[in-house]
Amino acid sequence: MSMLSYQHFPIYAIMLYFLGAFLIVLFGKNKIARHCLALLSVTGSLALLVSLVPRVMTGGEIITYWMGNRAYSGGYAIGIALEVDALSLFFALLVAVAVFVSGVYSIRYMEHDDNIPQYYTLFLMLAGGVMGLVLSGDLFNMFIMVEILTFAAVALTAFRNTARGALEAAFKYLVVGSIGSTCILAGTIMLYAQVHTLNFAQLSGLIPGHIHGATRVAFALLFVGFSTKAFLVPFHPLAADAHGAAPASVSVLISGVLTKSGIYGIIRLVYFLFQTMNLRPIQFMLVFVGSVSMFVCVTMALAQHDFKRLLAFHSISQIGYVLTAVGLSTALGISAGLYHAMNHTIFKGLLFLAAGAVLHETGTTDLDRLGGLSKRMPHTTVLFLIGAASISGIPPFNGFASKWLIYQAAYLRAVETGNIGYLLVTIIALVTSTLTLASFVKVSQSVFFGQLPDEFKDVKEVPFGMRLAMSLFAILCVLTGLLPDLVTKVLTGPAAQAVLNPVRYIAAARGIEVPAETAALPQAAGAWSPINWLLLLGISLFAITLVALLGKYDRVSENASAETLPAKYDLFFSGEKSVYSQVGGGDLFWGFKYNWRHYFSFMHDLHSGIVNDYALWAVVALALAIAFLQIVL
Amino acid sequence: MFTPAFFTTALLYLGYILIFPGFLFCFVIGLLLCGIDRKAVARMQKRVGPPILQPFYDFFKLCGKETIVPAAASRTTFMLAPLVGLAALVVIQLFIPVFNFRVFRNLPEVADMIVILYLLLIPAVSVMLGGAATGSPYAGIGLSREMVTVLAVELPLVMVLLSVAKAVGNELGTGLVFSLSGVVDYQAAHGSLIGHISMIPAALAMLLIIPGETGNHPFDAAEAETEICEGLLAEYSGAPLGIYKLSHAVKMLTLTSLFVALFLGGIGTGVEHLVAAVGLTGAVAGAVSLILQVLILVLLCIVLTLVTISFVHAVTARLKIEQLFKYYWTVVTGLALISLVLAWYGF
Amino acid sequence: MILMNYIAAFFLIVLGLYTIVTKYNLVKTVIGLSIMDYGVNLLIVSIGFNPGGTAPIFTFSELNPSSFFVDPIPQALTLTSIVIGACVTAMSLSLVMKIYEQYGTMDTREVRRLRG
Repeated sequence: MSMLSYQHFPIYAIMLYFLGAFLIVLFGKNKIARHCLALLSVTGSLALLVSLVPRVMTGGEIITYWMGNRAYSGGYAIGIALEVDALSLFFALLVAVAVFVSGVYSIRYMEHDDNIPQYYTLFLMLAGGVMGLVLSGDLFNMFIMVEILTFAAVALTAFRNTARGALEAAFKYLVVGSIGSTCILAGTIMLYAQVHTLNFAQLSGLIPGHIHGATRVAFALLFVGFSTKAFLVPFHPLAADAHGAAPASVSVLISGVLTKSGIYGIIRLVYFLFQTMNLRPIQFMLVFVGSVSMFVCVTMALAQHDFKRLLAFHSISQIGYVLTAVGLSTALGISAGLYHAMNHTIFKGLLFLAAGAVLHETGTTDLDRLGGLSKRMPHTTVLFLIGAASISGIPPFNGFASKWLIYQAAYLRAVETGNIGYLLVTIIALVTSTLTLASFVKVSQSVFFGQLPDEFKDVKEVPFGMRLAMSLFAILCVLTGLLPDLVTKVLTGPAAQAVLNPVRYIAAARGIEVPAETAALPQAAGAWSPINWLLLLGISLFAITLVALLGKYDRVSENASAETLPAKYDLFFSGEKSVYSQVGGGDLFWGFKYNWRHYFSFMHDLHSGIVNDYALWAVVALALAIAFLQIVL
Repeated sequence: MFTPAFFTTALLYLGYILIFPGFLFCFVIGLLLCGIDRKAVARMQKRVGPPILQPFYDFFKLCGKETIVPAAASRTTFMLAPLVGLAALVVIQLFIPVFNFRVFRNLPEVADMIVILYLLLIPAVSVMLGGAATGSPYAGIGLSREMVTVLAVELPLVMVLLSVAKAVGNELGTGLVFSLSGVVDYQAAHGSLIGHISMIPAALAMLLIIPGETGNHPFDAAEAETEICEGLLAEYSGAPLGIYKLSHAVKMLTLTSLFVALFLGGIGTGVEHLVAAVGLTGAVAGAVSLILQVLILVLLCIVLTLVTISFVHAVTARLKIEQLFKYYWTVVTGLALISLVLAWYGF
Repeated sequence: MILMNYIAAFFLIVLGLYTIVTKYNLVKTVIGLSIMDYGVNLLIVSIGFNPGGTAPIFTFSELNPSSFFVDPIPQALTLTSIVIGACVTAMSLSLVMKIYEQYGTMDTREVRRLRG
């Protein structure tokens, strides 16, 4: 194999990040060198992975790469492997794209911070950790990558250690995250004790024949471990703390990339390692955890007063959608879930970057203090609105395209199995989407619209570099929303087929090529063609606007300057000139909260912020998982 | 590509968008429904009431007035929001079949029921953003209430749509039918869904959803002229306000015709047999039956408006927002749930 | 004999978790994390242990089918795990120091500005 043959690309993609991190430690003092190194490594990695798309996604090839060329021999995989199938590459692409955009954004966003070289080092370590996790074909290596990414994420959470709660968030995350990592390690070693291999493909071949007490415990340990990384309920408070405290460019990675690594781990665990997704209790477990995360976190988000904390809770709510869809274990469900995972990376990245832009200019993300920024930051407002529409599932943006598939998949599954629980899941999914909309309407009102407080009179638009990064995400939001068929064909469809066909993955590690099944791509039951809709809307809007303009719609007699405008241009407020009277973000939706007041006060008390409580939740979750799996598996 | 056939088709679709069932139809029938509603409420309250064409006069008068954009507002959002809302509504109207008439008969369906559910959010969101862009405190409160109303209505509406999808799927043996045309086709062949026991609670729920979705009395806490000065619309004047009023009227049409498509889809489809029986054939028969079907639709919409909007308006007082929410999430959701469970178990 | 190791490993893990859950001192929480780590490390080496085996240090010429040694992989894993454990301790202790500077307390019940 020549150095430039494509088999090397996965390891290059990982190493570029780590190499970048290392070189920035050495040469990072120089601003230009630092930026060049960071951009080179994020761009290079992305380019390498994109170049693999035709082979792995559409060609169905599985790339197995043995470190030091120590391939499978004597029936045991001694060497450390990277194994890249469509699923791995799918997640790797998500990572690469998010890291790339976030890296571009960081250049201007972090320019006023101290210790910028350390920031880039940690940033690339985090990226490399996740990349290593999703491309690795070795369970113990996955654990090491989990530790690297947890470390980098904790350090980055505490990076702005003077910010409110940053240290506290980092500490909580470290404690519970370490419990999770320890679970993964213990689970790994228990599997090793059974079959004496750590190679993922070989484990997947052997473990389904060895299901007994110890492997069940290992399953529970690994499941809880990866759930901690995905911040599923009951680990969601950590996400809120960590996302809220970290710099926005890091929140993009934590929410868009790190949570995905947890989801990736769970998919590998249930579909490959144990191959138990044909069992109803396991489907139930995933769908239950997913639905609970979806609903609990969206209600928690509605009660938040801080922009980034609110986004963090939404993150987990969306991850809940992904897990639910994946747990449906139909081709449509998996493909919808992966589609949503991708969309979540994109729109949540955009939203966090918008939050970062607000923080960058105003110095706060408190919803009760902000307001009226749309006149000062028009571009950020538009970009934020695109992100908000996406996450709330407003057609034609990408959030709707994937959520729509999830509704279909869930309801079809309900009808197929006759299980009324799936019907409930469908309803929860539909309602959660509207609750998401509610909380983004709240953010729009409290941050971008409404009244501009005096202290933010001189706020400016963010620099071009940051807007560029946000625009990249916004363009992706629109494109992936408008072209669902293409996305399914090129990205999520092949990945879903890889998930449903673990035999190929297992055989590929031995160098045996099982021909790809030419199963049809998952089809939805309903109909939705965004391009046609957009065309219709465009024509209608054009017609209305034309008529309106002919009728002098925009006739505004605004000749006087702002200070001398007549009183009719003031805001109407019971006959008086309006003083500053913004409705506080936390108090919006009173009519909703009043009816749910017991629930909200219960949840507020439950999220006590004491690390012992969160650790207790982790222990309880672990105990429940072990007990559940011992009984049902 | 640019053959005469292409231009003919393009012109045809332009006609659909601009004339029927697009703009002109929405404009005329929507405002007509609004006028009938106002007249009927007045009569029920023993007032004379305005002429039926009053909404038309109002609209044209508003269009002639000066538009005042508050100095504090963000101008683009303020001006664009009403237009987007109206355009989105008109597009939804294209997806609702008029008995046997479909805009997209020869094309793959653009949007199914679930999509329509979310498309209905666009007008609501655009009015919220437009109002919020003014920075008026009334708009802030109006926005809060509007959003809670949307939340309240969404849950029962979701369940109504799911139960219809399931009921039709049961009958056809295909599991689920999400396509609205599919639902109407089924009714054309097997009679209206309202005739099914399992669908009656859903239809009732839908009747209660209509005034909530359009923001009519008693579910108009979001506008509440007497306390928060029309909330989101407090700062609007002139043509943009006129467009909002028009959107409100079109929304009445959209929801009542959605009701017709969901539950009464079998009523108008007999017309074609009737026309054939009279002896008409070919294009004439098609045109006559289309006109008859549209007339039936308009009549049904008027009846539904009278029942769900005017009558309810005349006999009730405005609900507080938390009462509204509770009402929808208990009573109306309960009705929809009954339907869903009945449909689930195949009744 | 080896059973004792497993029991001890299990006991250490549970003891670590117990410490994390019940002790309200930040440093004790860190100690709990370490104890848990030690438990897992003990578990790993115990799994690789073969009664009577020698240390797995051979060159290729010495290696023959009759050589009997303990499983080398878990030992390698343990080393990695110990290193990671040390990192966790170092990182968390540095965070504890910073938290003490900012909050003026070591009590987890008072380090809760982020909640709800």
